Amino acid sequence: MDFRLTDDQRQILDALDKLADTFDDIANDFHGFALVRPDLREALAEGGFFDIAGFEELGPLPASMAVERIAQLPCTAEVALSMLVSPLIADVGYDPIALVRPGQAGRFVDSAKWLLVVDATRYGLIEAAVADVTSVESIYAYPMGRAKDLAQVTWLEDSLTARIDARLKLAIAAELVGLMAAAQAATIEHISVRKQFGRELGTFQALRHRMAECRVQIGGARWLMLKAAATGDPGDAALALFHAQDAGTRLCYEVHQMMGAMGMTLEMSLHLWTYRIKALLSDMGGRGVQAEAVLEQCFGGVNVV
Amino acid sequence: MEFYWDTEQTAFRDEVKAFIATHLPEDWESLAHGPGSREQTDFSKTFCNQLAQAGLLVPHWPKAWGGREADPWTLFILAEEMWMAGEPRGGQYMNVNWIGPTLMRYGTEAQQQRYIPPMAQGTTLWCQGFSEPEAGSDLAALKTRAELGAGGYVINGQKIWTSYAGMADNCFLLARTGTGKSGISIFLVPMDTPGITVREIPSIIGEGDIHEVFFDDVAVGEDCLLGDPGQAWEIIRHVLSLERVGIPRFAMAARVLERTVKRLHDGGRLNAGAIEQAARAKAACESARWYSYSIVDQRRHGVTPGPEASLARFATVTAERLVAEFVVEHAGDALAGGDPLVLSHHQRAIVAGIASGAAEIQLNLIATELLKLPREPR
Repeated sequence: MDFRLTDDQRQILDALDKLADTFDDIANDFHGFALVRPDLREALAEGGFFDIAGFEELGPLPASMAVERIAQLPCTAEVALSMLVSPLIADVGYDPIALVRPGQAGRFVDSAKWLLVVDATRYGLIEAAVADVTSVESIYAYPMGRAKDLAQVTWLEDSLTARIDARLKLAIAAELVGLMAAAQAATIEHISVRKQFGRELGTFQALRHRMAECRVQIGGARWLMLKAAATGDPGDAALALFHAQDAGTRLCYEVHQMMGAMGMTLEMSLHLWTYRIKALLSDMGGRGVQAEAVLEQCFGGVNVV
Repeated sequence: MEFYWDTEQTAFRDEVKAFIATHLPEDWESLAHGPGSREQTDFSKTFCNQLAQAGLLVPHWPKAWGGREADPWTLFILAEEMWMAGEPRGGQYMNVNWIGPTLMRYGTEAQQQRYIPPMAQGTTLWCQGFSEPEAGSDLAALKTRAELGAGGYVINGQKIWTSYAGMADNCFLLARTGTGKSGISIFLVPMDTPGITVREIPSIIGEGDIHEVFFDDVAVGEDCLLGDPGQAWEIIRHVLSLERVGIPRFAMAARVLERTVKRLHDGGRLNAGAIEQAARAKAACESARWYSYSIVDQRRHGVTPGPEASLARFATVTAERLVAEFVVEHAGDALAGGDPLVLSHHQRAIVAGIASGAAEIQLNLIATELLKLPREPR
């Protein structure tokens, strides 16, 4: 055990931090849900950040930390799957990729080059151009779309299924951890200056303790996510995503409650993170499905019927 | 970043596991009537002495005091395995973790020679005389006084919630020798000193766990003072730095959870509600584990753990609570004669958020030190 970053990990994450800082602003006239910055993907590709997981010296651990960092930005772009899942799939390269469950809307489906199709037991790949993709209006702070025609999907080898499954869970967990941290940071900023009854809101113990409990949850989800990245174990990935989705459910309520009416406005940035969190709470089947995977994979020999 | 045990750490864990497998009797789980009971205390003295002879009681201590100067990971692996087995060391974990090391740093030569060898041999039990009726989480409000006279100190006052006091040989006692925080001193007091009265408080935790301890004109020599008069707060800060990692209660909680899930599965009683609750409890146990590991890692690299330790402490409280709730809701029979280990865990779990300062103190520390929220007005 040694939780210090290696020099390579430190350097690449410092470089990513600098890049992220240049995307950390919001145009004053933006009052929408999905603040998409396609140039974020271009900058990440140019900097070689989509290669992190594929490098033997680096791998999924720093890649998941990169996903976590990018998720803290107010803007969004398809990053998580490209960084963590695409390296497992031949031919996809750095092109944007979106997860599609037949018949359901998915994030980035309308802007991805590739669609990763999931059914009950396998994953398949199809070019978005042949899947009759349309954009859909949504309150989720991601661009959302539907694919109407998945007939030409190519199912991937069964041997890849478990690995893709674990990486998807890791990618979503890493994104959730970053989103939760950003939503909490915005809320803390607000309650540290907003005064009622002559005191900053953040001095009231009723709020302080709830924020502290959320911090415990977010940090716990982060440790489970990092462990899942380090081991590649399917049970670790399921546990990480379960905990991240569980923590996200509570956090969304708490941060909006503490931000009050200000948090309801599209002028504040809070919804950019919380409505992305909400989009991810049902990913991979949501907490219920993750819980079943945890039981089967983390409790040795227990089968969920 | 590495998330794997190295060869030495794995070998040490195997060594501890093998020792437990060899030395814990088959009826051990039903023996544990309470962490401070006579049965537990007597058993612990035998067990800890055997641990000492195997070099597994105080591996992190200096060689001069019977240790092997092992790193903080070694101590934590040892503690994890012990807690997973139901903590057969009983109250002696305190000697190992902090009373011994504190005496090594602040004790006189005579105090060290008198008290440390029995700790290293696993044959002595201590209690900590901290809390009082009017001084719980607010420890600085304590009123027990030690007056210096011609023949030494005379101590008067009352302690409460004192674990293990009924069977303890000595007390690590906080008493007031002046005013304010700088007026608190530490005394090492043999529990058979005239004037000390111990009353057990029947509790939901189990037999012999918590007590009232009365000090009525208890006369002790000046040689019982640890450090200088008024140095208690500095010494307590040192104690806390040793204890920051906390007790790996999550290890026992995780074992109880695993056993209960298996039992429910085998009995065909693992319903959807239980599955989600079990996953939540598992996530809480593992969060507590990795938070705690992160603190051990800091200590391993010479970093004094900061407010992050409060995250580990609160995560552990959460894990204890969720496992206890899971058992009550889905396997309640275990607490009615069904499983002594599960019962023992349930009785102890309630302590996690109360002992060593209320969990709410940890939340305050997180809010102020980590989240940088403005402080509450006082």
